[in-house]
Amino acid sequence: MKKQYIILLIVAGIFAFFTTCSDTGKYKALIITGQAEHDWQTSSAILKKLLDQTGLFNTRILSTPEKGGEMSAFNPAFSKYRLVVLDYNGEPWPENVKTAFVDYVNKGGGVVVYNESGNAFPDWKEYNQMIGLGGGEGRDQSAGPYVYFRRNEMIIDTTARLSAPAVPSQEFEIRNKITDHPVTAGLPARWLHGSDMLSGPMRGPAISLDILATAWSDPRAQGSGREEPALMVIAYGKGKIFHTTLGYPQDGGGPALECTGFITTFQRGAEWVVTGNVTQPVPLDFPSAAAASLRPGLVVPTPGEVMKNLGNYDIQKSTRYFTLLQNYIRQAGGDEKSLLNYEKMMVKVLKAPETTVEAKKLLLRELSWMGSDYCVSAIRDLAGNAELQGEAEFALARLEATK
Amino acid sequence: MLRKTSRRAFVKRSATAVAGAFVLPQIVPSSVFGMGGKLAPSDRIIIGAIGTGSQGMSNMRDFLRLGDQLQFVAVCDVDALRLSKARETVDGANKNNDCRTYMDYREFLEKEKLDAVSIALPDHWHGIIYTETINKKVAVYGEKPISRTIADGQTIVKACRKNNTIWQTGSWQRSLPNFHRGAELAINGRVGKISHIEVGLPDGGRGIGTPPVKDVPPELDWDMWLGPALEVPYRGVAHWDWRWILDYSGGQLTDWAGHHIDIANWGAGLENTGPVEISGTGVYPVDGIFNAPVEYDFICKYANGIEMRVANSSRLIHGMGTTWYGELGWVHTNRGNQLTASDPGILEEVIGENEIKLYKSENHWQNFIDCIRTGRETISPIEGAYRAISVALLGEIAMTTGETIKWDPEKEVIIGNPRASRLLSRPYRKPWTLPTV
Repeated sequence: MKKQYIILLIVAGIFAFFTTCSDTGKYKALIITGQAEHDWQTSSAILKKLLDQTGLFNTRILSTPEKGGEMSAFNPAFSKYRLVVLDYNGEPWPENVKTAFVDYVNKGGGVVVYNESGNAFPDWKEYNQMIGLGGGEGRDQSAGPYVYFRRNEMIIDTTARLSAPAVPSQEFEIRNKITDHPVTAGLPARWLHGSDMLSGPMRGPAISLDILATAWSDPRAQGSGREEPALMVIAYGKGKIFHTTLGYPQDGGGPALECTGFITTFQRGAEWVVTGNVTQPVPLDFPSAAAASLRPGLVVPTPGEVMKNLGNYDIQKSTRYFTLLQNYIRQAGGDEKSLLNYEKMMVKVLKAPETTVEAKKLLLRELSWMGSDYCVSAIRDLAGNAELQGEAEFALARLEATK
Repeated sequence: MLRKTSRRAFVKRSATAVAGAFVLPQIVPSSVFGMGGKLAPSDRIIIGAIGTGSQGMSNMRDFLRLGDQLQFVAVCDVDALRLSKARETVDGANKNNDCRTYMDYREFLEKEKLDAVSIALPDHWHGIIYTETINKKVAVYGEKPISRTIADGQTIVKACRKNNTIWQTGSWQRSLPNFHRGAELAINGRVGKISHIEVGLPDGGRGIGTPPVKDVPPELDWDMWLGPALEVPYRGVAHWDWRWILDYSGGQLTDWAGHHIDIANWGAGLENTGPVEISGTGVYPVDGIFNAPVEYDFICKYANGIEMRVANSSRLIHGMGTTWYGELGWVHTNRGNQLTASDPGILEEVIGENEIKLYKSENHWQNFIDCIRTGRETISPIEGAYRAISVALLGEIAMTTGETIKWDPEKEVIIGNPRASRLLSRPYRKPWTLPTV
C-alpha cells in the first residue's frame, strides 16, 4: 500500500509540474485584467510581451466581464499557473474566486500586483494583506497606516488622510532601499523612471512587507516631498508577491511602460515570485540618476542594432547607442575575443562611407584605448581627413605609445 | 622690483634650507616674520589667481580674509566677464584700480613676478598650468584633484620636487578639527589595526540631455577653455558643469577624491603609497552630454592588507565621509563637524606623547601663507594630493575597462595590461604638450 502511495505522489507531482510548466519548460503565467481606469487592453498586452520576452514564461491574458457584467462566469483555474499578474481594478470577484486566489497564494503561488491593481478591492482583507499597501480613495484609517520614506527614514503614519497632490506625469527618481534582494540586486541606488503617474500615499496592513524601492515625489515638481512606495515584496502563506506601482499606460504604452527600469523590475519581480531567485542580469540600457532609458517598441537593444545605429550619430542626436557600445565594452571585462569582435564591428562602421563624421569621432575615441593592431591602418587612413585629424591623432598616439 | 626679488629669493632660500627636514620643531615665532601683526607692504605675499570661477573666487575670498598678509595683483581667466568681476574684487580689497588682467595664462606667468599663485581650473588644464607655474618657482595653492590623469599627476609631483616649491592642495578638510581628530584616532590604532576603509562620495545628479550646439558667447575664449582637450562644439556647457564630462573631469568621484579619499589616506598612513589591486563597477548615464559615472563602487587593496572601498554615498551605511574599520570598531568623519565611532569611548581617547601627531592647521589658506614664509611643508602637500586622486583615477580605469587592475605603487605603473595602461595618460590636442620638468 505504501508503495502505491509513493507512486501516486510521484505521478501527482509530475502532473502538477506539467500543468504549471508548458511543454517548453516555461512557467505558465496568467494576466488577469478586464476592468481598470487605465487602458487595460494596452497594458495587459504589454505585460504579456514583457513576460514572454524573458524566455521564462508562457503567458495568457484572461479578462473579467466588463463592469456590470455577469461576474459568475469568471472563474480562473489559478492552480494551473505558477504566476498570476493582476492588472485589474474593478468590481469585486465572486467569493469562490476570491477563496481560490487566497488558496493559490497560500500554497505558494506567485503574484505580481501591477500599478492600479494596488487600488483594487479595498474591502477584501486577504487581498490587502497580499499587496502590503494600497492606494486610491477607497482606503481609510481602517485599512492601516500610511507607509512612506522621508529623509531616508521609513515613516509609519496613522494620519486620517494625507494630502495627495495631483502630480503631473513626469520622470521621477526611484531610490533603492533594499539592495540585496534578488529583484534589486545590482541595480543603481537611484535611477530615473520614464514619465509616469506618481502614485499617491499608500496605506495598508503592511504585514511581511519589504519596500524595495521608493519614488521620490519632488516638491519642486509639485510632489509631496515624500518618497512613496514604488516596488514592494510581500510574503503571504507560502506565496510571494511583488507589487509595482509603476507603469501607468498612455496611448499605445508610453514611457512609463517602455522604461527599462520598469521593464527590468517587472520581469525580475515575476521571476522572483515564482522561484525565489532572479537569473536575469541587469540590462546594459538600465537607467541611472542622470537619465531615464526607454525601449521604444519594447525592443531590447543588441550589439548589432547598436552598431547599425551608431553610424547615423549626429552632433544634435542622442549619444545613446555610443554609450551602449561603451557598456558592452565594459562588460567584456578585458576578454580579448569579445573586444576584438567589437573592434571589428567598430572598424566596419568607421570605414563605411555612409558613417557620419561625428560617429567616426566617437569611435576613434573609444578605439584609442581598447583597440588593437587591427584598427590602426583604418585609423591612419583617416588621419589625413581634416575633420577627423584631431581624433585620429589622439587614437594613434595612444595606440602606438603602448606598442 | 627690488622688493619682490628680495622676498622671492628669501622664499626660495628658506624652502631649500628645510627641504626634507620638516620633522624639526616647526613652531616659528610669528614675530620673526611679523605674522599676526600689522605687516609692512614689503612683507606681503604677492599673489595672483588663474581661474576665477566659483572655486577660484571662493579661494580668493578666503585669502582676502587674511588681510594684509598678502596682496592680489593679477588675475587670469578665459571668460572676460568673470575676469572683470575678479578684478573688481581685487581692486576693492586693494582700494585701487591696479589689478592686472590676462586671458592667456602664458602671458600672466611671463609678465607677473609673484610669490604665489592660486589656481582653480577644470581638471584637464591642471597638468599643463600647474607644471608651468611650478617651473616658474612660484608657490602654488592648487585645487584638487591635482590632475585628470595619472601621468599629469606624476609630472606635477616631479615639478614640485625638482623646483622645491611650496604647494598647498585645496584639500581644506585637513585643516578642520573633526577630520584631523578622526584621522589621528585611526592612525594611532584606536579602532585597532585598520582592516578596511569606506569612503562615501556624492551620487551623480540628473543630466541635461544633449543640448544644441550654440554660438560661443563673446566673452569666452572657447578654444583656450578646451586647451589640451579634444575639440568639440560649444553647447552652452563650460563653467561648473564641465565636472560631469569625462573630457574634463571624472564626475563626483574625482571631484571629491581630494577630500574624503585624502582624509582616508591620511588616517591610514597611505598618503605616500597607492593600492596594488583595484576592481569595481560604475553606473554611466545611458544618454546625454554628461557622461561621467553617477554611481561607482570599487575596492582598492593595499600591500599591507588594507582594503578601501570607494562608492557613491547611497551605497554605504555611513553615507558621505570616511570610515576607518579595525578589530576594535570604527571611526567615521564627515562634513558638518561630524565625528562618530562604534564606541563613544573611542572619541574620548587621548593621543599620548609618543604617538603619531598629525600635522595641525586651523586655517588652510593661512597655512599656505605661513609655509611660504617658513619654507615648511604645507598640511596638504603634492604627494598626498597625487596619491588621493590616483585612487579615483585607478578606480576609473577599472570601471572603464571592466577589469581588475594591478598597480605597482612604487614604479607607478599598471602591471601586465597595456590596454588599461593607455588610460594612464591622454594625448594633448595640438599645439599643447605637457611641459618638461
